[in-house]
Amino acid sequence: MDLVTLALLNNRFEGVARKMANTLLRTGRSGVLNIARDFSCCIVTADAELLVANEGLPIHVLSGPDLMAKVMKEYCPTLKKGDAFINNSPYHGCSHAADHTILVPVVDDKGKHRFTVLAKAHQADIGNSIPTTYHGSAKDVYEEGALIFPSVRVQEDYRTNEDFVRMCRMRIRVPDQWWGDFLAALGAARIGEQEITAMAEEVGWDVLEAFCGEWLDYSERRMVEAVRALPAGRAIRTSRHDPFPGTPEDGIPVKVDVTIDPAEARITVDLTDNMDCLPCGLNLSEACSRTAAMVGIFNSIDHTVPKNAGSFRRIELKLRENCVVGIPRFPISCSVATTNVADRVANPVQCAIAEIAEGQGMAECGAVIPPSVAVISGIHPRDGKPFINQVFLGMTGGAASPTADAWLTIGHVGNAGMCNLDSVELDELRQPLYVASRRLLPDTEGPGERTGAPSIAVEFGPVDCEISVGYVSDGVVNASLGVRGGGRGGAANQFLVEPDGSRQPLPSCAQVSVRDGQLVLSISAGGGGYGDPRRRPVDEVARDVRLGRISAERAGTIYGVAVDPDGTIDRERTARLRNAA
Amino acid sequence: MRFAVDTGGTFTDLVVEDDDGVCRLFKAATTPHDPVAGMLDALSLAAAAEGQPLAEFLARGASLLHGTTHAINAIITGRTAKTAFVTTAGHGDMLVLREGGRAETFNFTHRFPEPYIPKSLTFEVPERVMADGSVREALDEKAVLDMIDKLRASGAEAVAVSLLWSIVNPAHELRVGELLAKHLPDIPFTLSHQLNPAIREFRRASSAAVDASLKPMMGRYMRDLESRLRQAGFGGRVLIVTSQAGVIDAADAARAPIHIVNSGPSMAPIAGRYYAAVDSAAEDAIIADTGGTTYDVSIVRKGTIPTTRETWIGPRYRGIMLGFPWVDVKSVGAGGGSIASIDSGGLLHVGPASAGAVPGPAAYGRGGTRATVTDAAVTLGYVDPAYFLGGAMKLDAELAREAVQRDVATPGGLPLAEAANAIITIATENMVQAILDITVKQGIDPREAVLIGGGGAAGLNSVRIARRLGCRTLIIPETGPALSAAGALMSELKAEYHVALVAHTDGFDHAAVDAALAGLAEKARQFAEGPGAGALETRIAFKADARYATEVWEIEVPLRGGSIANAYDLATFVEDFHRTHETLFSFRDEGSAIEVVGWSAEVTCRLSEARDLKLAPPTSLRERAPRPAWFAGVGWSDVPVHRFEALEPGVILQGPAIVENDYTTVVVDPGATAERRPSGSLVIDVG
Repeated sequence: MDLVTLALLNNRFEGVARKMANTLLRTGRSGVLNIARDFSCCIVTADAELLVANEGLPIHVLSGPDLMAKVMKEYCPTLKKGDAFINNSPYHGCSHAADHTILVPVVDDKGKHRFTVLAKAHQADIGNSIPTTYHGSAKDVYEEGALIFPSVRVQEDYRTNEDFVRMCRMRIRVPDQWWGDFLAALGAARIGEQEITAMAEEVGWDVLEAFCGEWLDYSERRMVEAVRALPAGRAIRTSRHDPFPGTPEDGIPVKVDVTIDPAEARITVDLTDNMDCLPCGLNLSEACSRTAAMVGIFNSIDHTVPKNAGSFRRIELKLRENCVVGIPRFPISCSVATTNVADRVANPVQCAIAEIAEGQGMAECGAVIPPSVAVISGIHPRDGKPFINQVFLGMTGGAASPTADAWLTIGHVGNAGMCNLDSVELDELRQPLYVASRRLLPDTEGPGERTGAPSIAVEFGPVDCEISVGYVSDGVVNASLGVRGGGRGGAANQFLVEPDGSRQPLPSCAQVSVRDGQLVLSISAGGGGYGDPRRRPVDEVARDVRLGRISAERAGTIYGVAVDPDGTIDRERTARLRNAA
Repeated sequence: MRFAVDTGGTFTDLVVEDDDGVCRLFKAATTPHDPVAGMLDALSLAAAAEGQPLAEFLARGASLLHGTTHAINAIITGRTAKTAFVTTAGHGDMLVLREGGRAETFNFTHRFPEPYIPKSLTFEVPERVMADGSVREALDEKAVLDMIDKLRASGAEAVAVSLLWSIVNPAHELRVGELLAKHLPDIPFTLSHQLNPAIREFRRASSAAVDASLKPMMGRYMRDLESRLRQAGFGGRVLIVTSQAGVIDAADAARAPIHIVNSGPSMAPIAGRYYAAVDSAAEDAIIADTGGTTYDVSIVRKGTIPTTRETWIGPRYRGIMLGFPWVDVKSVGAGGGSIASIDSGGLLHVGPASAGAVPGPAAYGRGGTRATVTDAAVTLGYVDPAYFLGGAMKLDAELAREAVQRDVATPGGLPLAEAANAIITIATENMVQAILDITVKQGIDPREAVLIGGGGAAGLNSVRIARRLGCRTLIIPETGPALSAAGALMSELKAEYHVALVAHTDGFDHAAVDAALAGLAEKARQFAEGPGAGALETRIAFKADARYATEVWEIEVPLRGGSIANAYDLATFVEDFHRTHETLFSFRDEGSAIEVVGWSAEVTCRLSEARDLKLAPPTSLRERAPRPAWFAGVGWSDVPVHRFEALEPGVILQGPAIVENDYTTVVVDPGATAERRPSGSLVIDVG
């Protein structure tokens, strides 16, 4: 294929994914879609290889769409134009049950299956046994309670199967909201189908097929070059998830064994030396095990390498069945697979690469999901109707990279900052909610030559009613780690604040009732630092002090910079402090 | 006589319209440190062309319409006033946190952007209003007075005040304003609910912060502009182009400078709307303004120019989000200066890196060596190296060919002309994607729209862009190279008033909504009787910012009258909402209630007679000789070259052909036909 066609068609396929995503963003109903942008759109080849994805949540797309497209073909060998399928099964390639994924096979006029387009959208509710889509303590999928769809046909001849709709309406809380989100995802997938079909009418299906092969080869070449730019080495890192119900007393240690082999142009991540699946909702689906490891890799190398099946050929992932970070067996629960333990895979991978290759990799991002990002529900006093929604009032967690201080609002490593932050006014309008404060906490940044994000403290509570707040807050015991001399980020925490101001600690994994007058104080996890804090430019430390990000005392003890609270630097004393270290 | 002056980054464009409606175009170099000087230079050129002393010439002017990048440049370069930010206690990190979101998922080389106003100049005041307007915590005036002392000591030159829910109950914000006026009388301030009464506290605060920070310098600029024009002999009205494609008096621009931040790109769609109406029957138009480094796309939808509140200065998520509506413009880094390269994997890229004006494309011979879109156009014979900008600048075709050969032809294994063509093809695709992004967002089908090419470089590949989009008709207006200045001449005096009142269609409070709308109508009337007095025509249009109850992004829905008084009006509005939603997002949800979060009234006053813009014919017309040019499927051939101004209406040109004048070159590709219209435009059927 000539280089003009290659560049042109890539541009157009990216345009298709973008158009799908724009549609979903603008028409999704629940806050988790239209504010948090917790969705993704992608195109996979007829052979179920990932071709292109929109710029969405990384934990959503790298692996999973390929697995689901494969399952769709296996279960339904004769795909027809007008078909659409839903898959939210962690045993069939989906990330977790909350991510309803619509798959539309793109079929040509002769009935040949050419591509599959996917729109995956996190739902506000999926009919779990408790009003949250993150059921951390569920001992199995039965206790979790979601409807599971292992690649189920929901449209034939472009007509929706109303049986399926009635089932969902009889199980999912606030069914109209779910229905709106279903329409949005279906609409996005159909737009992808139309656009690809229009492109084929213009250039021909065979040219599109040829493009896929060439594009994946090109992507592989770029990956080869990126891996060859790294030094050879092997590093083993462990990141530990906090103890939750159903986990061992000291939590879940996740061990990653990373090897970079520039000669073979291959990066290997071995996750097999980890514990078996646990009787809780923290187990990873296969999609999330694979994707989390790849997120750690792609965060660490030349970011312009395309992420698709071509570059993936240079990544070897070792997983085993029935492993908490491997391949789960039914009926293990994977309710919280996209965040908590997945982050404990991606983070140490990027740290391991930093250890092998100076100037590459990243520190650890902060853990989630604190109450400021909880699913909240209750009865609205205005109209007596139930409401349920995930709010995004604040999570920081950004890790330092070798070249830049953290992106403050990264959320967590699997989110990469794609999530929007809720407007206080919008949240108070949508729900009977009062947000008393949201503040960045000084001295909680992961110290380093490049600093991690500080923690954010958010206080909120109900207005004239009682609300239920569901969250799964990791990072209270195990704060994010730094690399290459960088330090830990601030730990997460949560409290219930009484009207008199007294506070009591709240558990890390809970569904909490909050009465009128009470407030929840949620503290998000900060991110780790990269490099020795004593090598941080003195002027930047002084600026951090002047802006109230760190105290003058911390500037001295951690960064070796003598500075007044107003930012005036004592250069001589600074030189002494730094030399002494 | 009227003057329109567009102060751009490189050139100051002046269009002079005489009393018969005949226009003349002048260009002078922009003088960034004193833009008024560049404006006076351009006016002096025009006076000299008329053979009149400047004072006499200026005295003939009834109005001067001015579009300026002065405010936006001040923001980009950080030359705005030292500004303090006052907000509700507990929320002082509002400007730091922004609204989240991030581009380029795997790119961790960018640090998080600094807030527009630093934390060290942020002050929290104890108070709290709730969503329903009730006061949870009264304003602590003692604390405000203490804060004012600290403010004074901080050396702040301006203050932005934005409290939570001030849009519903402004009492606290107003009281802070009173205290500021009393105790710091010389420091200008902005109250968020007065400037931008829209829900979403970060955006409102950001609008207030930017507005306040511009007040000292824009006040000086407007006073200086008016007084120097007066001294030079101008006695007419000075009007400034706003970001919402209207004009306001210079004094009003000084009072709320946020209105003119994006003055530059908002003018092209006004001109585009005019040409779309006179030269085609299409309802929708796509206006593409091609510069040296950026390609700005705007839209006309059924005669209106849509605005957006997603307003970024600088890159999305890393720049400054204004939160204040402006004409929706999609800008991408694509233009004559865009650099072409082949990466290590063998993929051809064009842009976003640009050679800019300095060092510029290789053909400029000013030290630029990398192959650009302009070099490709020279290599293909589209641009005459001896007649670039009317011969004002000589290009070196050999340098262009060398660059294309070295950067693209050799590494890509392509013959030279095919390599040059590949560069244009990829640049075209980048531009097409920008157009698709904004048309999707605004719910327009490009196949049913006309494409209007503005900017000096528009003609090089606009036929290809139109073909790729499926647009049948391409219009290159005669004033295209100065499309913005032409747009300014067509713009009208405009003001918009907004009120944040939440209403649900299930349980609609007719009385409250009608009271709010009546209040807006009264403000609009006052404007019409004040600055708009003596207008030839005045219109007031109402609209609602609404969404399905659980959506979060509002869409604008026009109201048919100034009220929703009864069930019938409401049913009409509901149907209009569904229809608008369907246009934008291709579905409607009849079962869902509709939530309105804001209402606005736009008042437009037409100050001058609407008439066709005619460019004065140049004094001498040199005929152009055919020259060799390369087209895909044709190869090299001698292509006829026509002088733009010499084309008679009704004569149809068959492509391949080249049409050019002192400001632009239009390539009519094989298979396309071009015809000059009575309006002066070149209208191309792309075939």
